[in-house]
Amino acid sequence: MQTSYPGRTHSSLTQLSKSARNQSVSKLALRSTVGVVLFLSTVPIIYLFIRAGQKPFGQSIDLLFREKTLRVLGTTAILVLAVVALTLLIGVTLASALHFIKLPFPSILIIPTVLPLAIPSYVFTYTWIAFVPSFSGIFAAIFILTLSTVPYVILATLAGLRSVDESQIEVARSLGLTNTEIFFRVVLPQIKGHVSAGVLLTALYTLSDFGAVSLLNVESLTVTIQNLYRASYDRGAAAVIALVLIAFSTIVVIVDDRVKNRAKVGEAVKVQTSKQVLIESNRTRFFTLFVLINLFTLSIVIPFYVLITRFLDNRVTIKWPDLLSASLSTLLVAAIGAVIALVLAAPLGILLSGRSDKFTRFAQRIITVGHGLPGVVVGLALVSIGSKLGVIYQTIFFLGFAYALLFLAKLVASINASLARVPSGVKDVATSLGANPWAVIKKVVAPIAAPGISLGTILVFLTAMKELPVTLMLRPTGFETLATEIWSSAAINRFNEAAPYALILVLIAALPTFLLSRPDKADRMFVNESMGSEK
Amino acid sequence: MSSLEISNLSLSFGEKVILDDLSFSLKEGQIAALLGPSGCGKTTMLRSIAGLIKPASGTIRIGKQLVSLSSLVMPSHKRKIGYVPQDGALFPHLNVAENIAFGLDKTLLTKDQISQTVKDMLQLIELQGFEKRMPSELSGGQQTRVALARALSIKPSIVLLDEPFSALDAELRGDLRSQVIELLRSRNTTAILVTHDREEALVSADVVALMREGRIVQEGSPEDVYSLPISPAIATSTGEALLLEAVLSDDGSIRYLFNNLSPLETSKTNGQVVIRPEEIKITRSSSANSATGKIKKINYYGHDAMITVKVKSQNVIVRIPGPFDFQVGEEVSLEHTGPMRFFPSS
Repeated sequence: MQTSYPGRTHSSLTQLSKSARNQSVSKLALRSTVGVVLFLSTVPIIYLFIRAGQKPFGQSIDLLFREKTLRVLGTTAILVLAVVALTLLIGVTLASALHFIKLPFPSILIIPTVLPLAIPSYVFTYTWIAFVPSFSGIFAAIFILTLSTVPYVILATLAGLRSVDESQIEVARSLGLTNTEIFFRVVLPQIKGHVSAGVLLTALYTLSDFGAVSLLNVESLTVTIQNLYRASYDRGAAAVIALVLIAFSTIVVIVDDRVKNRAKVGEAVKVQTSKQVLIESNRTRFFTLFVLINLFTLSIVIPFYVLITRFLDNRVTIKWPDLLSASLSTLLVAAIGAVIALVLAAPLGILLSGRSDKFTRFAQRIITVGHGLPGVVVGLALVSIGSKLGVIYQTIFFLGFAYALLFLAKLVASINASLARVPSGVKDVATSLGANPWAVIKKVVAPIAAPGISLGTILVFLTAMKELPVTLMLRPTGFETLATEIWSSAAINRFNEAAPYALILVLIAALPTFLLSRPDKADRMFVNESMGSEK
Repeated sequence: MSSLEISNLSLSFGEKVILDDLSFSLKEGQIAALLGPSGCGKTTMLRSIAGLIKPASGTIRIGKQLVSLSSLVMPSHKRKIGYVPQDGALFPHLNVAENIAFGLDKTLLTKDQISQTVKDMLQLIELQGFEKRMPSELSGGQQTRVALARALSIKPSIVLLDEPFSALDAELRGDLRSQVIELLRSRNTTAILVTHDREEALVSADVVALMREGRIVQEGSPEDVYSLPISPAIATSTGEALLLEAVLSDDGSIRYLFNNLSPLETSKTNGQVVIRPEEIKITRSSSANSATGKIKKINYYGHDAMITVKVKSQNVIVRIPGPFDFQVGEEVSLEHTGPMRFFPSS
């Protein structure tokens, strides 16, 4: 039946060969773009290696093994291990309680558990110092970082729990297992991968935190790097310690990768959601509510109480023009960062959502390691490179570029996950219906993937607004953002002056947190809700 | 609609050969069923025809148009092939009407023509009034019908259906299958239906092609592939089959369970005889060419039943129409009434 529409008939083999050539050209273009992005994203690490290499080897060894460095390493390790252990215990328990126990208004109860994500660690810390003046030291740091990061583990565990088929639990119960046995033998093995993802975020957050530890006089690796950098006679030494920090975060990323790969074997196979299997016992219910109320008090009520009272105490002397200009600067530079990040992340996300081969695996590995790069490290490398670049250095664009490198991995993951949600059958069908590759992207892929990608970009935008160490190191002279204003006041205990800036920042950052607390969204967005890099 | 001609198509993923020098042709308006176990290359063959995957060598011709010559391939979006994948793959962000209109070229057709086509298609699949529904608001069968309408709306040269009914429950499946086939026939559509359900293949198609390890090992009318299998293994892929050890003598006589010929001292060939369960007659009285045994099991299906009879040490399955009055444990005699299919063992 050749009643085709006019203009749709094609013949001749020249056409065939032309399209074959077009395909390989576009493939090559994508791969070389990705190559450039990968190079850019590894520039900080390459630079640090060069810089550390310039230092005489003996000196580097001495630096690494002097007593002070070892003490800092010990502090950092204790901090990370303690925070991971505590968040794991609290996060998994609380998430399971929220999932399995019948509680009043469950969708409201979940909000206080994720709201701490909206409070940057330096704001959190300074409100506590304002509340308890003697608040300081490593236990204080463990306290603050645990409360700041426990939402990651809660969200990740909840996403995992929702993927477990409830009928399996019913089967286990019929086989005579108690609830505790069911949890450890049926549920936990299936959600390991999810929990590990949450723990990864917690560990990376703790490793790269600068604001909290610095305010609490705890000398961790990030603080050491910042101190060495500011005593600018020896950037080589800062580079050596930065490489140690990178090694730390790489180990964390690799451990998580291992756990996830092993968990994949027994990944949850969800057939159908029957109704949730709920536990109705008043004792567990009261215990859960008690823990929730405590958490809410410590991580939300007290910080907000301090912020609001300090704000009210101070409201006569607020410099409104400064507040306005800092807010606008923050929005502007964060937006620039988000746009650059999107431009850099898009080709990578597209490549990684396609068929896997040697090159994509290589790209994935680079990005995975980049995921762990702390802000202090990126800042240090870019400060030194930037000072050689001339005009671009000390502009908001260079700061934006630094944000983009810092959050690249998170946005790539988000783009990749959004694209993976487009079923391949749908693309095939669109093609068979006459849509050329561009039309497939425009009419099918983009509409399905766009919501996820935009949410990922917005999260990068909001995270950049809260970012502290890179902003401190790379901002143009005299350029103040909300974060730098809060920092410069809080560092010298002028809590009243910091309060209005902190309130604005926290209120803006709370918006996406509400989105994340909605279960249906949180599941799908978990990959890109890693907003914890504002230290 | 167009004819289809595939010759010497090959394709591998790394070391693994997926399509192995495959040739197949189909006349205009014919419906073919592609039957084979999973992993034998059915879907890959379909995707090669649609242009969604690039074969390493071989040619594909649709009508008079050469669409694939070795690694030179016409891109999928220029082939005008209706493709219905396993789950229907409706565009989740578009409603039913938008899904059906997706392939209609807005630069060549007026708005009225497009909405008329959508209306015609909805009438064809009997879903009038569903224009504004989203795919998630449709049942599985409705989704499959919309996917088919979407494929037919572009007046395709060929329609490719990749196990479109596999996700549906048995009852709906049968009904929908006959509706779809009727629809395709009424429009004289050339179509390939991939399936791993042997009944589906036999019921639906003009041509049944049996696929194994990247090749088409047998093709023909449903009757032919069912009654004249080329090997014992192929026989079991189109229906129940009983494989019995047998010996072929030089004089042409075959010794097997159902005859009592005495062994000859001439040279002989070992092999198997293939018998369909409905080709065995079950009675209570024995005759010269019958084997006797005890009923071990009766599987009752309503319209018919499968009776397992133990003859010597061999389980023989017999299909008989219901109703019947045989009991488990009863002595019966079996007679082979159908054609003799002997396959020497290789």
